[in-house]
Amino acid sequence: MSHTSRRWALLGTVLLLAGWWLLAWRFGALLAATPMVAVERLWQLMQDSQWRAQLGISLLRILIGIGGATLLGFGLGLLAGLDGRVRGLLEPLRWVLMATPPVVVVVLAMMWFGMGSAMVIFMTTVVLAPGVYVNTVRGMALLDPQLLAMARVYRFGFVLRLRHLYIPALAGPLCAALLIAGASGIRIVVMAEVLGAQEGIGFALANAQSAFDSGTLYAWVLLVLLLVALLEFALLQPLQRRLSAWNRVPHD
Amino acid sequence: MIEAREIAVRYGQTTVLHNLSLCLKPGERIGLVGASGSGKSTLLRLASGLQTVDQGTWHNSFERIAIAFQQPTLLPWRNALDNLVIPLLARGLEPAQAQQQARQWLARVGLSDSATRWPAQLSGGMAQRLGLARALSVEPDLLLLDEPFSALDPTLRQTLAELCQQWLAARGAALICVSHHPQELAPLVQRRLVLIDGQGHWQDAHGQPLEALPP
Repeated sequence: MSHTSRRWALLGTVLLLAGWWLLAWRFGALLAATPMVAVERLWQLMQDSQWRAQLGISLLRILIGIGGATLLGFGLGLLAGLDGRVRGLLEPLRWVLMATPPVVVVVLAMMWFGMGSAMVIFMTTVVLAPGVYVNTVRGMALLDPQLLAMARVYRFGFVLRLRHLYIPALAGPLCAALLIAGASGIRIVVMAEVLGAQEGIGFALANAQSAFDSGTLYAWVLLVLLLVALLEFALLQPLQRRLSAWNRVPHD
Repeated sequence: MIEAREIAVRYGQTTVLHNLSLCLKPGERIGLVGASGSGKSTLLRLASGLQTVDQGTWHNSFERIAIAFQQPTLLPWRNALDNLVIPLLARGLEPAQAQQQARQWLARVGLSDSATRWPAQLSGGMAQRLGLARALSVEPDLLLLDEPFSALDPTLRQTLAELCQQWLAARGAALICVSHHPQELAPLVQRRLVLIDGQGHWQDAHGQPLEALPP
């Protein structure tokens, strides 16, 4: 596939901002803040210590939720990839988790854990882990059998196999899964906080919405977008490039 | 040693090896000859522990086995040096010792300048040399070579064949070597097993039929 054109991506961003501005103009300041108002309000929010507290809580939940989902999905995916019995055992659970709408998980999690961090983290983990699991299992299925045979003959232990065979081989599908999980994770945490938390970005969003403070509402939305961008462009894409460096070398 | 009695291996309806008996003692070196599909690779897979027999008895008491595959089967995401270091780590060597030995082996096969190159940056011949270095570096009791010199030019083929001979003489390891080139096998092996229709026929190193195997 050809490289994504940066010039066209920039044009897409400009068009998106223009669309946002048009919507704000159409609906008015009470319902939709303009990009400029959102940026100004975000700057004001950043001067407030409460802002840092709300952001910190959400970031912690995002980190634990995505981290937990990744570890759980990758660990179980690895086991399922190695053993068809484990794969069979986990298949119904995977299906149930992937078929259940996230909002149902939120409602159940609120009943089980009440409002707060435990609910948000549980919800994020449960919603994201199946995606990581499926990508890991797919990656394991595509592993070169000759490499597995080589590792067996040379008696690679589990740690060596994990470090030098499974993780590098799974890096491609896993990074793709993490890119999706990362962006989805942030959105799911915010959604869960809107529905059932008393702190965090989602809670602040819900407050702004009930107060018809569209400037603050859009400032928080802008912040969520910045968080997703930071995760994707500053962390996951460089990680993906680093892990797949061997695949981009010029061949002799 | 390997002791095989009247073994058979089948893939579905196809019988690849049939009623084959074989004994390979420590230090013995045999060549495997035969047309494509005659069971050479299957026999190597049996010897490397990657395959089991469907019939007969197969006993392999060699503890440390190494194989140089026809396709070198290198870890594509690890550089040339690491492809040698990792099997040495699996053998229990300390990282510093593994690095040192790996560098020595790279030098022996003429790849010192390619230590940091990815396998995709190596030519077919270079990759095959690396695969051979990996097999020899772990100091196996049983060395399995599958067309080890097929991608090499005649000069390099000669050089590496000599390296193998010296290594085998010094180490005293057993060898099973698959090759389509009789002149390539002659200096390396003591006898040949010619596989025809899944059955084995013994020859000496130069292709003369053996009536009975030496004790």
